[in-house]
Amino acid sequence: MLIELKGVHKTYDNGQPLHVLKGIDLEIEKGEFVSIMGASGSGKSTLLNILGILDNYDEGEYHLAGKLIKNLSERESATYRNEMIGFVFQSFNLIGFKTAVENVELPLFYQGVSRHRRHEAAMAYLEKMGLTDWASHYPNEMSGGQKQRVAIARALITHPEIILADEPTGALDSKTSVEVMDLLTRLNREDGVTIIVVTHESGVANCADKIVHIKDGLIEKIEDNRQHHSSVFGADTIMK
Amino acid sequence: MRHRLDIDTFREIGDSLFRNKRRTILTGFGIFWGLFMLLFLVGGGQGLKQMLSMNFEGFATNTMVMISSNTSKPYKGMKEGRYWNMNTRDVQRLKALVPELDVVAPIVSMWSQTAYYQGNTAAPNVKGIAGDYHKIEEPILKYGRTISDADVEQVRKVCVLGKRIYNDLFPQGGNPCGEFIQVGSIFLQVIGVDVSSGNMNINGQSSDAVLVPYSLAAQLYHRGQNVDLICMSGKPGVKMSSLESRVRGIMAREHQFDPTDNLAMPLINTEQIFGIIDRLFRGVNFLIWLVGIGTLLAGAVGVSNIMMVTVRERTVEIGIRRAIGAVPRDILSQIIWESVALTLAAGSAGIVFSVLILNVVEALTKHQAVFQISFWTAIISALLLSVLGVLAGLAPALRAMKIKPVDAMRDE
Repeated sequence: MLIELKGVHKTYDNGQPLHVLKGIDLEIEKGEFVSIMGASGSGKSTLLNILGILDNYDEGEYHLAGKLIKNLSERESATYRNEMIGFVFQSFNLIGFKTAVENVELPLFYQGVSRHRRHEAAMAYLEKMGLTDWASHYPNEMSGGQKQRVAIARALITHPEIILADEPTGALDSKTSVEVMDLLTRLNREDGVTIIVVTHESGVANCADKIVHIKDGLIEKIEDNRQHHSSVFGADTIMK
Repeated sequence: MRHRLDIDTFREIGDSLFRNKRRTILTGFGIFWGLFMLLFLVGGGQGLKQMLSMNFEGFATNTMVMISSNTSKPYKGMKEGRYWNMNTRDVQRLKALVPELDVVAPIVSMWSQTAYYQGNTAAPNVKGIAGDYHKIEEPILKYGRTISDADVEQVRKVCVLGKRIYNDLFPQGGNPCGEFIQVGSIFLQVIGVDVSSGNMNINGQSSDAVLVPYSLAAQLYHRGQNVDLICMSGKPGVKMSSLESRVRGIMAREHQFDPTDNLAMPLINTEQIFGIIDRLFRGVNFLIWLVGIGTLLAGAVGVSNIMMVTVRERTVEIGIRRAIGAVPRDILSQIIWESVALTLAAGSAGIVFSVLILNVVEALTKHQAVFQISFWTAIISALLLSVLGVLAGLAPALRAMKIKPVDAMRDE
């Protein structure tokens, strides 16, 4: 079991307490492609933050690859994030004054990998994303789809256990959205990368094999979607 | 252990500093100006001190001059206001009784005489000196020699010309030794020319003087045994101020005035004059450091302030870095490195600029004094700058460390 959540609770305390997660139990196997769906305010972003070791939780247990992730120091959580998790954000979150290849290199820089080796690795991943020609371009010279592919390359470069994607298509048009989701699907199928996508778009969620529906801080249902008949892009859906 | 000090660490620093060039330059200017001011003032102060010290060139620094004057206290039945005279016997007496004294030299002068040579005239002060007077006020001889003990003993009619007198009497230049000039009613043979131009002299400027043996001056001007003043200098390591009361006691006993009557025999101690100048420059130095360090600190506060703003602006960037694996220490060291790099670059520019300006100043003053700061002053300022950079970066860095990776997403 790669990911194991048991009775995870989270309460935000900004003035008045806000109980966001009310006992989440979730298990994800290695190599799965899971999407987490829910309306805004349902707690899916909080769940993603906890899965990504970006935030703490109050109660319960979270095991990632056998390690209990609880009350870690900043240093430990940074190291775990670096080694086990690759992030893909809605707004790409590339560093604007660095070129594509420098952005992809950055996680390895923080691992202390030598300059030459991390450059090679970054170029390999950019090639895989079909962006070799764009390696020395800055993010503001690239299209949204290209930026997201750079972000995916950056997420993959440390060979993480899981890729966490937070609304990966949120800032993309529908055509590019399909391309990005196809890319993620291919990574899952061909390379066996575990992918967790958080979204509120059913078309995006449909790419996954398993859809976790969250509502009001609880898991409403876990839908087996290996047939991908839930809803496809553009079909019987209101997306885009 | 992860090590991260490679070229990219420095490229990161360069990148973030060059991203907002104008702001970086303006921020750095505070440091630049602070260091420039500090070093320029330090160099300038040192040069000024040297230039001032040049006025005392050739003058023994442990010299005491005593003059006779009216008494101000009644003593042994004698009223105050009595005048007394020093004489050549006092010279022998002091030499015998105060062995710490190296030179005891009397001076007999006559002011505003007229000198003639082949139709040229000059208005010198005739200054009668002893053979060892040169140890107190060192002449710079262009020609010939100065007055010797033999000149004094044999009352030779010889003289040494001051620079201006020489120029007035011998406008065509050349060696005047052996020539006879007329001073007042007698003829004196020139034996030397003293071109010293220090501004500290006893009894008139040396450039305006005609130096003669004091015995001759006493004879010419009918002084008998009396002398105008007596100059003394101590043997090496002797502090003149420590001899003052003994000298005063000896003179008081001989000439019957109250030994506590300081006005009866004013004593001028050059040690004190030099001491005053020394203290003056210590004060000036203190001010220089106060102003310099103050300006520098203001610059550092500016850097700290701007870094604070930068950190705020870079919340997302720092959040991303944290999300993909930067530990807090990475962020801390990055911000501090940036601060140090900015401070050091701006400060080095300040060092270079001040060295340049001091060089110009030195050239403008015709290299009379050393204005330039020493190499070590520059090295130490660079070290000081690094420390300042770390301190300036500390607060912003601590703030940056507090940025959580979720902030990267929240700040959209």
